[in-house]
Amino acid sequence: MITAAWIALAAPLAAAVAITLAGTSISRRGAGYLATGAVGASFVAAAVAFVAMWGRDAEERAVLSTGWTWLSAGDFSVGVTLLIDPLSAMEMLIVSGVGALIVGYSLGYMDGEREERRFFAYMALFVFSMLLLVMTGNFLLLLVGWGLVGLSSYLLIGFWHERPTAVAAAKKAFVMNAVGDATMALALFLLIWKTGTLDFGTAFARVDDLSPTVQTLIALGLLGGAVAKSAQLPLHTWLPDAMEGPTPVSALIHAATMVTAGVYLVVRAHAVFEAAPEVQALTAWLGAATLLLAGLVALVQTNVKRVIAYSTMSQIGYMFLAAGIGAYASSMFHLMTHAFFKALLFLAAGIVIHALAGEEDMRRMGGLRRLLPRTWWAFLIGALALSGLPPFAGFFSKDSILAATWASGGDGLALYAIALAGVFLTALYTFRMVFIVWGGEPSAFVREHVHVPGRDLVGISMAIAVGTLAVLAVVGGWVQWAILYTPVETWLHPVVEDLVRPTVAEDVITSVLASLLSLAGIWLAWAMYSAKRVRVPEAPALRSLLERKFWFDEAYDAVFYRPAAALARVWTRWVEEPLIGGSIAGVALGTRELGRGVAAAQTGFLRTYVLAIAAGAALLFLVYLAAR
Amino acid sequence: MLGPEIAWYLSVAAFLFGIGSLGVLVRRSPLIVLLSLEIMLNGANLALIGCSRLYGGGDGQIFALAVMAVAASEVVVGLGLIVAMARRGLALDVDRLTTLRG
Amino acid sequence: MDAGNILVWIVWFVAAFACLGSAIAVITFTNPFYSALSLIANLGSLAVLYLLLSAEFVAAAQVLVYAGAVVVMFLFVIAYLGGRADVPWAGGPTWQAVAAATASAALLLEIVVVIALKAGDRLSDPATVREGFGGPQQIGRLFLSDHLLAFEITSIVLLVAAVGGVILGAHSRERAD
Repeated sequence: MITAAWIALAAPLAAAVAITLAGTSISRRGAGYLATGAVGASFVAAAVAFVAMWGRDAEERAVLSTGWTWLSAGDFSVGVTLLIDPLSAMEMLIVSGVGALIVGYSLGYMDGEREERRFFAYMALFVFSMLLLVMTGNFLLLLVGWGLVGLSSYLLIGFWHERPTAVAAAKKAFVMNAVGDATMALALFLLIWKTGTLDFGTAFARVDDLSPTVQTLIALGLLGGAVAKSAQLPLHTWLPDAMEGPTPVSALIHAATMVTAGVYLVVRAHAVFEAAPEVQALTAWLGAATLLLAGLVALVQTNVKRVIAYSTMSQIGYMFLAAGIGAYASSMFHLMTHAFFKALLFLAAGIVIHALAGEEDMRRMGGLRRLLPRTWWAFLIGALALSGLPPFAGFFSKDSILAATWASGGDGLALYAIALAGVFLTALYTFRMVFIVWGGEPSAFVREHVHVPGRDLVGISMAIAVGTLAVLAVVGGWVQWAILYTPVETWLHPVVEDLVRPTVAEDVITSVLASLLSLAGIWLAWAMYSAKRVRVPEAPALRSLLERKFWFDEAYDAVFYRPAAALARVWTRWVEEPLIGGSIAGVALGTRELGRGVAAAQTGFLRTYVLAIAAGAALLFLVYLAAR
Repeated sequence: MLGPEIAWYLSVAAFLFGIGSLGVLVRRSPLIVLLSLEIMLNGANLALIGCSRLYGGGDGQIFALAVMAVAASEVVVGLGLIVAMARRGLALDVDRLTTLRG
Repeated sequence: MDAGNILVWIVWFVAAFACLGSAIAVITFTNPFYSALSLIANLGSLAVLYLLLSAEFVAAAQVLVYAGAVVVMFLFVIAYLGGRADVPWAGGPTWQAVAAATASAALLLEIVVVIALKAGDRLSDPATVREGFGGPQQIGRLFLSDHLLAFEITSIVLLVAAVGGVILGAHSRERAD
């Protein structure tokens, strides 16, 4: 089991290194096959580890394996440690499985791109980093993986480096994530200081003995990292811009895996969060606020990938909400189903974008249902799963989150109301997108540009990934139905124990309510965007509020960017130029003048040189005599 | 030992060295500079042999012979350079060879 | 003071003054040819001094190598270049000559001070040497036992100098064409 885990971790790294070192000696497709094969091998190894784990008793499933001691200072030491337990096994399967499908899809999607090898090297690096993040047994390596996925994300968002918007988006994502990394590093320092260890098991065991302030600070630091990585309020603004990257990147990194790392962190470090109830509540409220806000903004977006991006934020908001109230299994379950149907939506949208020669604006699409029928069905499945209608995957996972929110008591009812409103919004924006993109008659733009993928490598590789994900988006949710059976919860039980357990009545009522709301959302979308029976409300103020995404970018610009830029200008003018630049110029000038002076001693007269030697010898002799 | 003490020999050696160094410092013809260098080397040789006699060991004489060999080598190279300079029409005057002026 | 001793003193005086006088002659003659001839006298009188110090082999080598080979090479070069006389003590800035004289005098003075004041006592008691000191047999033994490395390095230095001389000569001939 542990060998399989190491293989799962090493395979993508080996592929990334191999593609990088091989350079042009392997073909572009060769690089793609290599990356796909490596991630696929990683999935097989993860599956082997999973099955091996399945065969064990529940209490013996967690295995620690230390490769070597990475660094040690005094009593403090950190090893390259893997912790393979039910939680990490589940994440490994999601990451490597969805990863293999999406890297395979990229074979087709990126075909003919000029820098395919770089793309696949980055993708393999990302899968390695993500696996490191979920498999490691201590916080330091978690932070390493955390930083590495941030780096891969940066590299892939900015993959089309000749586009200024892509470069800006990459920088934005990196900076925002750096804020989270910093708060997380602070939390780790506190942990080292107060508990003396970063190993999960010991650190969690010792957290209970700390003072409440320290507990809260540590939890806040970790939450900062999680919020930045998972694009939750208030560090969410990078995710929509990250859609500048290629669509498979959006599917893998910015929907299915990396952005859910924050949820994984909260679940993994649940002991820390449970020790700080205020931070737990904050997590839940941040999730609720994000899901509502992102759902609202998604209503007015016109770029198809941005709509899906906002829906990702919104769905991760659900996961944060669940993790905050202690419904960890529901949170992880939703993480899994979301990985399936959101990757499906992105990849299906990717086929549309590919077929329309890179066009991402929904307003120029329309009537694609008849032109891309199979993609239409896949997209519809994804949309239904996202809306949470039975029997699609989203129904099972989202409804258990909702029911748990109701059952959690306290603020629970307020959160519950927000979450239900989110369900309605989700259905509305999702089917707005569905009707605009697929419904109606083909637009002039579509008729002119559409290019249906054929039965070549491009079409087949994309079809395999989308088809598999479509099946998963349907059946993926059947793994657990909280009313009848709860295998996911049982599976995770050795690692995390849920704090809330809704009653059957709560579950059933929630399911009915959520499904009705979802249907209402779909009906409204149909009425407004397909049948045009209801006019889209004209509220200019609200509209501009939403189109400006609640003015977050502008606010950050005014609060952080402009003062910093002004300060930088002041320092450039009054410190950099006169002091630093001046001193450097002075040193250069002084050196030159000194050299000029010394050069005068170089008369070129041999006899002068000899005289200097003789005089020096005489002086040395004198010194010698005096010293004796 | 018959005759003057070693100090006398060493004094002669010191004077030879001083005369040689004066020649090196003031003469402009590279040939005479080389000759003066030979005088300096011989001054050192005389001191070495005098001390060899003082301590009764042969090492100083070995050293003197090595100095002789080095002096011979130096003369070969130095004269070769002078001949090469003369063939190129360069002035045989160390004061006019000032290419290295800073 | 017996007769032998006086004789040695006389020989020493003659040799020492010949040596210093010829050295001064070397650096004062305007004509390099005369300077080279004075160097022969200088080297010969030094050989006499070496003999007085029981360094027979070195004295012989001095005459053979220096007076025989080195100075002859000088004379060849001087003859080849023609008698280009230069004016001693002239040329260059005046302070150069003054400073040169000062530096030489300072060196000389310092050495004399060392000999006379600091090391005077230790110089007055030469070791007694046995028969054959400084002879070819002893030098040969030393060269091939204790100082073998010095011997070999010396031979390499000579080889390098020979090669260097050949290259300098060949190079200049080529350029002259």
